[in-house]
Amino acid sequence: MSDALKQSLDLSMFWEYRAILLQGLIFNVLVFLCAASVALSVGLGAALLRINRLWPMRLIGTLHVEIFRNAPDYIMLVWVHFVLPLLIGIAIRRRVEFHPFTSAVIALGFVYSGYFAEGFRAGIQAIPQGNLDAGRSFGMSERLILWRIILPQVVRRMLPEALNLFVSMFKATTIVSLIAVPDLMYNVSMVIQQEMRPLPLYTGAAITYFLLIFLLSVGVRHFGERWRRTSMA
Amino acid sequence: MSIARAARESAPIFMSQVLSQVPNEAPSQVLSEVPSIRVAGIHKRFGPLEVLRGVSFDVPRGSVVSVIGASGSGKSTLLRCVNHLEPPDAGEIYIEGEPLGARVDARGNRKARSLAEINAMRRELGVVFQQFNLWPHMTVLGNVIEAPIRVRKLPRKEAVAYGEECLRRVRMIDKANEYPARLSGGQQQRAAIARALAMRPKAMLFDEATSSLDPELTDEVLGVMRELAADGTTMIVVTHEMSFAREVSDRVIFLHQGLVEEEGPPGDVFGAPKSERLQQFLSKYRKQ
Amino acid sequence: MGNWERLVWNQRDVLLAGLSITVQVCAIAFLVAILGGLALCLVRLYVRPLRWLAVLLIEFFRDTPIFVQLMWVAYVWPEVFGFPNDFFNAGWLALGLQSSGYLAETFRAGIEAVPRGQRDAAFSAGLSPVQTFRRIVMPQVVLASAPSIVNQFTVIVKSSTLVSVITVPDLMSQSQKLVNVWYEPIEILTATAAIYITFIFLVSACGKLLADRLRLRYGLVAA
Repeated sequence: MSDALKQSLDLSMFWEYRAILLQGLIFNVLVFLCAASVALSVGLGAALLRINRLWPMRLIGTLHVEIFRNAPDYIMLVWVHFVLPLLIGIAIRRRVEFHPFTSAVIALGFVYSGYFAEGFRAGIQAIPQGNLDAGRSFGMSERLILWRIILPQVVRRMLPEALNLFVSMFKATTIVSLIAVPDLMYNVSMVIQQEMRPLPLYTGAAITYFLLIFLLSVGVRHFGERWRRTSMA
Repeated sequence: MSIARAARESAPIFMSQVLSQVPNEAPSQVLSEVPSIRVAGIHKRFGPLEVLRGVSFDVPRGSVVSVIGASGSGKSTLLRCVNHLEPPDAGEIYIEGEPLGARVDARGNRKARSLAEINAMRRELGVVFQQFNLWPHMTVLGNVIEAPIRVRKLPRKEAVAYGEECLRRVRMIDKANEYPARLSGGQQQRAAIARALAMRPKAMLFDEATSSLDPELTDEVLGVMRELAADGTTMIVVTHEMSFAREVSDRVIFLHQGLVEEEGPPGDVFGAPKSERLQQFLSKYRKQ
Repeated sequence: MGNWERLVWNQRDVLLAGLSITVQVCAIAFLVAILGGLALCLVRLYVRPLRWLAVLLIEFFRDTPIFVQLMWVAYVWPEVFGFPNDFFNAGWLALGLQSSGYLAETFRAGIEAVPRGQRDAAFSAGLSPVQTFRRIVMPQVVLASAPSIVNQFTVIVKSSTLVSVITVPDLMSQSQKLVNVWYEPIEILTATAAIYITFIFLVSACGKLLADRLRLRYGLVAA
């Protein structure tokens, strides 16, 4: 048993392939950045729908949130990559294929838009009505009120929670290897196929991710505490 | 003699002066100058409850009209109807002769105004709220220049210059770069008054501006309001401060259960109240 | 798409078999998560010499992405530790370990949130520390963190879709098998997604109801 343990902790192999693995990690970061943008914008849109005056809009917003918050990442990934192109293809009568990167960004972006939408909604509804009354009394349009009064306060309030969601999202990007996006885990499996030595590689991947995410989490936690104390002027 | 009247002794004669000396005259009969604000037959209900049941009065230019009454009489709702924060169910508000809720086109047809048009007219009314409602994520100066820049589209330099002047007027200039959370209630309210003034409104609406303040802080805000009145600002003041109403107003309106129960110059309303309900109401404040 | 009947309804046995495996994996993982989380939390709070180990384990289980943990537990652990001996066990073990990290923190926050006065009252009445913990502290912790605990179960269900990658015949894996046989992914995958979403939604809703009912009963939430 100790032989296997030694083998798995022998990270020289992991180190040897570090260039390829680093490239993979960069893909994780890219997917994360794009998906995060999607999640933020779609999430904001859904949150605004949820508090709209018209009930059909509210219904759409609620459906969006409930569907995507309760959907497993992996099934969404598979569905977006394999089913959505077919549906679009049927609609426009042409063959459509998604690049795996695109599918990953759309799937993860929409799943996490559900979580962001809830956060945005809670933040918006926490703003005292008086702030809005004052804005309206000065003749500010609803759009002005949203951008100058509501959103700045919502962002300040929500920042710690949003950062936590971002860390979760980054962890979720590891599954994109399953639709052949060349991220870290994908490259790890490629190397394993070549070298036939899974122990150090999987262990190395686990340790790498652990260290990376650990540092991010600790950073976010500290920032969150300081933010809560000093912000909310 | 009210401070406002004293200040205007030396000013050119306006029709409003004549008006204020004619007690209990129905507004529409005496008018030859357009009042700053005309409230005409306002009705408002919330669900089954009818809060305003037909309120009418005029606010001539440069005058101070106080609205008093018990809680639940509809005072705050009335003020919120004046700038359409609550659209009235019936009746109309006229700002310098222009109806706020609807437009009358060339052929005399009434067309409801869009929100954008109403917003444009709201610029002419400055509102000071009971809860101050300063925007917490901006400094005092930021609050003051926000609407002039975004709504009146003034260049930033101009907005800052006039904004600082307004802050000086309410004696808050040294707190211009503070955030609202660091200020006392009285300071916040004065900042809110400066914010409203910075839009150069035609009239100022005060919705129980001192009701949220501790007694010590109330005086500093009332002082500012008195100065504004003395400068000839057109004001509608919803208030519990009877001494202020008596000393500063040109006209007092007593609201009871959604109707104007009695109105007139302060001397008459406070000195010789006709309606029994007004007498009861005032007796509670006699000790003040 | 009249294929629904052919592809989904007629294959419902296959899908239900998969769903059954999913439920089993999730249930066992949830149990492991609660017990493991509790153990880690208690060691962290009360066993000083081992605190560093508990913290390390908690952080490791929480911060490592579930997919990475799954592969690691499934392929490395059997060689090094001798277990898990098959992929089904690897599945619930990995899922359980990850969630135990989260629950350990949830429990810790809950325990630290119980006002000190509660313990003072218990000790003054003569209860031993263990009794105090079992009868006074933990019930309050569970009540307060019920929503987080339910949420963690939904996380387990969502992550369970990944055990298909290590060839556990769960719902995800069965539906992918069907797609490979019939080459028509639209109905099958959409139906699978709908089943997962509905299942998780129901779990969430029931959990919320249960948690609210419990808290109402104990007066922690206004009626």
